Amino acid sequence: MIEIKFAAVSQCFHGRKILGPLDCGLCGGRITAVTGRNGIGKSTFLKLAGHFLMPSSGKVTVTSDGMEMRGEVLRRRIAMVMPELRFYDRLTARENLDFLLGLRGRRLDDEEYGALLDQVGLSPKAVSRSYAGEFSTGMGQRLKMAALLAAEAEIWLLDEPGANLDADGQAMVAREARAAAERGVLVAIATNAPGEEALADEFIPLDGH
Amino acid sequence: MNSSLWTGIKLVLCKELTMGLRFKAAWASMFMFALTTLACVSLAMQGGQLEPKMAAALLWMIIFFASMVGADRGFADEDAAGTLMVLKLYGSAQPVLFGKMLYSFFLLAMLVLFIAPLFFVLMGAEAVFPGVFVLTLLLGVAGIAAAGTLLAALAVGARVKNGLFAVLMLPVILPVFLPAIFLTAEALGGGSLSLNYLGGMALYDGLLAVGASVLFDYLWYED
Repeated sequence: MIEIKFAAVSQCFHGRKILGPLDCGLCGGRITAVTGRNGIGKSTFLKLAGHFLMPSSGKVTVTSDGMEMRGEVLRRRIAMVMPELRFYDRLTARENLDFLLGLRGRRLDDEEYGALLDQVGLSPKAVSRSYAGEFSTGMGQRLKMAALLAAEAEIWLLDEPGANLDADGQAMVAREARAAAERGVLVAIATNAPGEEALADEFIPLDGH
Repeated sequence: MNSSLWTGIKLVLCKELTMGLRFKAAWASMFMFALTTLACVSLAMQGGQLEPKMAAALLWMIIFFASMVGADRGFADEDAAGTLMVLKLYGSAQPVLFGKMLYSFFLLAMLVLFIAPLFFVLMGAEAVFPGVFVLTLLLGVAGIAAAGTLLAALAVGARVKNGLFAVLMLPVILPVFLPAIFLTAEALGGGSLSLNYLGGMALYDGLLAVGASVLFDYLWYED
């Protein structure tokens, strides 16, 4: 089982403390909501959890069945949806997916693409013909969900995944997050949306102390 | 080389080529810089000829600064476009490094193919040893591509970016740059050939590629 442990973790930027000290844990098969007001460090928490950021003090440990994971081994098990995650504007959405999934050694045939796009509510025509830069923010968010699902990762780090999505899109996010947790995926959601908070099995409230 | 590494390198290289072809600004700036510099010097010479050493230095200055304008911008462009995060999330270190390095090499090789004939026409130069000239160009641009790719990645990670790349690039590339200038001058008829330089350049290129490969993991995975 995948676990992430924060031990006395603090994060400072330019000498200003953003987060912590924090002791907490997340585990596979559960949806953990990271909550707190804007600017409290929810996105920073997710980046620390995925080792995209190293803490100013303390340690974040990610283990799979007790074995610590770092570097490439860890990175290949993570998928994310984050506002700052951007696709290549000058590639079509399909080219973006082919490229990113190809880097993970995944190759989808047309049938699998059809099923994936159906799952996230994107039109195959738009995905093959439109540049990612021409997508609306909502469609872009669905594309991020498509990449997340196709990556078959064991750790999902979701930063406001329902942002810019309509009711159907938000329901899709909730459905997929629950299904992933049931498969044993560790799902962490940074959110303030009541609908996403309602999904959570556990909460990590960040209060700045 | 294992197949997944090679597949990853091909993916990154194809992505760079596709985007480069669709958004030609970097290519155009690089080629226009080279063309303008050659044309200006040629006009200033008013039909006169540069000495082989001066001509060689001019050629390598053009290649060096053109690489700064276009070929070595791989990571800076990713950073500016906000796509570095997605590349870090999905891409492993080595395919990204070598994919970008190969792209930089390809672009510089294209630049050399473009400016070398113009150089001979506009500067009135003549290659006495064409084989050495071509080999020197290839080894030189390989060194610039290897050093440039690693340093560009380093510069993107640094908090103070302004000018860092250029400041770091010159000392790292000098062991390639100086023998390249000497050899080019000799290939243009400016003295007897010192072929040992070729071996030295090849060795340094290899060291740069291996060093970049070892260091890049630390840049890509911050843990």
